[in-house]
Amino acid sequence: MSTYKKSKALLDTFVAITVVADSKETAEEAIDNAFDVIEKFGELINFYSDKSELSAVNRNAGIREVKVSPETLDIIEKAVYIAERSGGAFDPTIGPEIQLWDFFNKIRPSDADIRKNLSLVNYKNIIIDKGNSTVFLKKKDMLLDLGGIAKGYAADLAVQALKEKGISAGLVAVAGDIKAFGLKTDKKPWTVGIKNPRQKSSEDEIIAKIHLSGKAISTSGDYERYFMLNGQRFHHLLNPRTGYPAYACQSVSVIADQAVMTDAFSTALFILGPEKGLELAKEMGIDALIIDDKSSVHTTSGLEGILFLERNH
Amino acid sequence: MKETIKNTTLADRLLFLLLISLSVAGIFISRDALSQGSEVVIEVDGKPAYTLPLYEDRLVSVGGSYGDTLIEIKEKKVRVREAHCPNQICVKEGWISKGVIVCLPNKLIIIVGGSKKDEQLGIDAITG
Repeated sequence: MSTYKKSKALLDTFVAITVVADSKETAEEAIDNAFDVIEKFGELINFYSDKSELSAVNRNAGIREVKVSPETLDIIEKAVYIAERSGGAFDPTIGPEIQLWDFFNKIRPSDADIRKNLSLVNYKNIIIDKGNSTVFLKKKDMLLDLGGIAKGYAADLAVQALKEKGISAGLVAVAGDIKAFGLKTDKKPWTVGIKNPRQKSSEDEIIAKIHLSGKAISTSGDYERYFMLNGQRFHHLLNPRTGYPAYACQSVSVIADQAVMTDAFSTALFILGPEKGLELAKEMGIDALIIDDKSSVHTTSGLEGILFLERNH
Repeated sequence: MKETIKNTTLADRLLFLLLISLSVAGIFISRDALSQGSEVVIEVDGKPAYTLPLYEDRLVSVGGSYGDTLIEIKEKKVRVREAHCPNQICVKEGWISKGVIVCLPNKLIIIVGGSKKDEQLGIDAITG
């Protein structure tokens, strides 16, 4: 058995799939099929494409319900579930607030605009009709943005697709949303590095390593999309209650069985902060590594024996 | 000084230029040997098209579905300087010194660092 790795640009990001297989042909066939699965899924929920089911839902906000495919319905259902469980700390209707910010051109929206769009942010205004497979956004100008959950969902889909092709061990990384299954050729679990949110040199890029098998991990950090203005950091993890960035954490990694959960809950815990975040993790039966605003590390007990902090942390 | 420059022939100047470039190249070559995993890998449609040292400033033009994309390597950083794709996400990404820039419409991936570095760190992937 050998290890094979392939990468592709999908979902507006970088997807890398590693598998353990007995031949290059088997590996490539399974990986290419998994890429196809991600690509098809991406076409349904692409926020920027007029042809996606997601943009049809957004275009018809406040007008009418839109019939969607089972996958689109499922991911929206899961997004609403996580929004409910996190008390709205994760909210897929954050779209109108996100749109106000331009992290590339360092544009901070006016307080008035932020306040105005807050009335459009509320996951309770997503109406799902499971029987008819439709989704309706109650208010005009609401925007459903699945960016905080789609990559994790895609990683789960890809792992399922690999298993269906007979692959028993591998690792799918949709950007930083990663799911590992089975063991490597040396019979060891997969090792994932967790990025240091305040990296100073090439020596301290990783803050911790974690061993994973049959588990997923995602990280939300304030260093991913941000700009500095008058000494203050403005980043993309907005609190759905206020419309402004949340400042209690630098980075949150969540570990759970499904990547769809780790993706959305890493955002939720980031917004909630270390104390409430750890509480929610315990309640949900998932694990978390939280680096707070003072660079202190908080973890759940489930990470004992699989999480290894690098020196100096 | 002005006189000296005036008195040089074209051949002198060419020799001078050659010496300078050789010495600069020397710096790059030694730097390259020292730096590990400081590579820029450009993939087109899932296949590696170029592997370039991050320490060598240059412009690379890569063809894709939306015409040529201009990639610039400068001062150990990489960016997409010009692209004709509709969303311009790749251009907006700006300069990176590690990580990945993706241009989905052009099926283009620019990877800085590469898997060599992951191997050195003893990891299979990075989150965050």
